Amino acid sequence: MTTISNDLLGAIGGVPRPETDVVVDARDVNKYFGRLHVLKDVCVQVKRQETVVIIGPSGSGKTTFIRCVNHLEKIQSGRIFVNGHLIGYRETDGSKKLVEDKEKNIATQRQEIGMVFQRFNLFPHMTALENIIEAPIHVRGVSHDEAMVMGRALLERVGLAAKENVFPNQLSGGQQQRIAIARALAMKPALMLFDEPTSALDPEMIGEVLEVMKELAREGMTMIVVSHEMGFAREVANRVIMMDEGVVVEEGTPDQVFSAPTQDRTKTFLSKIL
Amino acid sequence: MTASLFNRFGTRRALLVGCLVFAALVVAGCSSGQAAYTIRPGFFWDSLFKPDSAIINGLGLTVGISVIAQLIGVVLGVFAAMGRMAKFLPFRIVANFYIWVFRGTPLLVQLSFFFYGLATAGLFKWPTVVAGPIDILPEVLAGIVILGVNEGAYMAEIVRAGILAVDPGQTEAAKSLGMTYGQTMSRIVLPQAARVIIPPLGNEFNNMLKTTSLLSALSIFELYNTFSVAAGHSYATFELFAACAVWYLLLTTIWGVVQSRIEKKFSRGTTTNTSSGAGPRNKGFAARFMSLRAPIEQ
Repeated sequence: MTTISNDLLGAIGGVPRPETDVVVDARDVNKYFGRLHVLKDVCVQVKRQETVVIIGPSGSGKTTFIRCVNHLEKIQSGRIFVNGHLIGYRETDGSKKLVEDKEKNIATQRQEIGMVFQRFNLFPHMTALENIIEAPIHVRGVSHDEAMVMGRALLERVGLAAKENVFPNQLSGGQQQRIAIARALAMKPALMLFDEPTSALDPEMIGEVLEVMKELAREGMTMIVVSHEMGFAREVANRVIMMDEGVVVEEGTPDQVFSAPTQDRTKTFLSKIL
Repeated sequence: MTASLFNRFGTRRALLVGCLVFAALVVAGCSSGQAAYTIRPGFFWDSLFKPDSAIINGLGLTVGISVIAQLIGVVLGVFAAMGRMAKFLPFRIVANFYIWVFRGTPLLVQLSFFFYGLATAGLFKWPTVVAGPIDILPEVLAGIVILGVNEGAYMAEIVRAGILAVDPGQTEAAKSLGMTYGQTMSRIVLPQAARVIIPPLGNEFNNMLKTTSLLSALSIFELYNTFSVAAGHSYATFELFAACAVWYLLLTTIWGVVQSRIEKKFSRGTTTNTSSGAGPRNKGFAARFMSLRAPIEQ
């Protein structure tokens, strides 16, 4: 269904640039919602071309964590670096205090970080193709013609070339999510974040979205995926991170985590979900 | 009573009934011997079908002032709405103060204060502005600006409701693509908010067309003042104000048609079937006009 050559991927710039070996470096991240301590000294590193799947019960902070990675959520302490750049904050010289960065700088940083949402969040007043070319044209300053060529290639890539002039509300959930992935890829990000990308989908549509994501992982995209799809994690992930109550409980290869979990909380969680 | 007439007969018949009622009044007025007032239907028909230059001028002023004032109102409304929702406290204070003052005082008082009040105190005199071939007189300029500023305070609440109606996920998606606040607003949020804003905006403009009649207080010869003065001269008060009402009705009716066209255009991407464009918001003006009055059945 969605077999796309690596050449095409290279041609449209989907392959991450080899800048640093560690794409995401989160150090001792703490996050509060009011008094609720949702992330407790979270440390996560993601290497270039790695696919990391974060699992854990609801309320464990996994979604909050990836939202912090592109600064959709503020953090109260710690540092998150993407490609060596501190995300969302500036360090003041004298003190070690974090000051929130200018909105414009944050916007620039986010250009490198693609995000796919649980509820797709496609722009309903734009067609599938318009959704994809919007940011390249208005944020990156790509010419309209160039953006159209790239947009069509991306639609082809997610298997929806026939749907370029269709509005989101005329597409199935699975199709919308594939368009949303294409929209994020159009910015040629160095990192892709997936926030439970299949949780809002009917069961028969989960496969087509996972297929696109697998393809992406195989082609070497750096990805952090929050997901309950254990099959996907087993097959695609280089590393699985188990979170519970705002803490990274366990971390390892899918085999280690799924077959021989060392922590009781992981065992309990897996016994419920598998 | 009128409502049930609309239900049973429809627009055209309602108009017909209206004409008959008017004719009956004319006849009654002519026949009742005790009334000192003699109705001269010629004043009514002539001012509708053979309007003199004063009426044409008045129409032009009413429409022109309404359009410009409404545009000012929309722009100010967008800024005031964003000001009210700003993170920066002084923006919120300024926006709230503006809305508080202009919604909390009568337009007539605002017109009098900012035109006569300021000038009498020697603080500010409205200038004459030369715009191409026409001179905009001080009172007209003041009228446009004050109406616009007043309208902006009302539009602010409408725009704010529209912005709040847009799914926050849209803002997050736009942000995560690297869009700035300005881009997110202008490209993503406001176009979607427009769908919510446009129906009440249409009502606001309908109001604006009629509210310009208050500008007679500044001696502007818009539609109402023109008829008012003519009535004073000819004593054909009944016929001329009836004709004046018909002119306003014509303006608001034409606007109703235009409004439904605009709403259709902005519903892009909201209907499941673009070809037929079904759905309550896409009905023609006539259909919407009727449904407005239609009883809820079952």
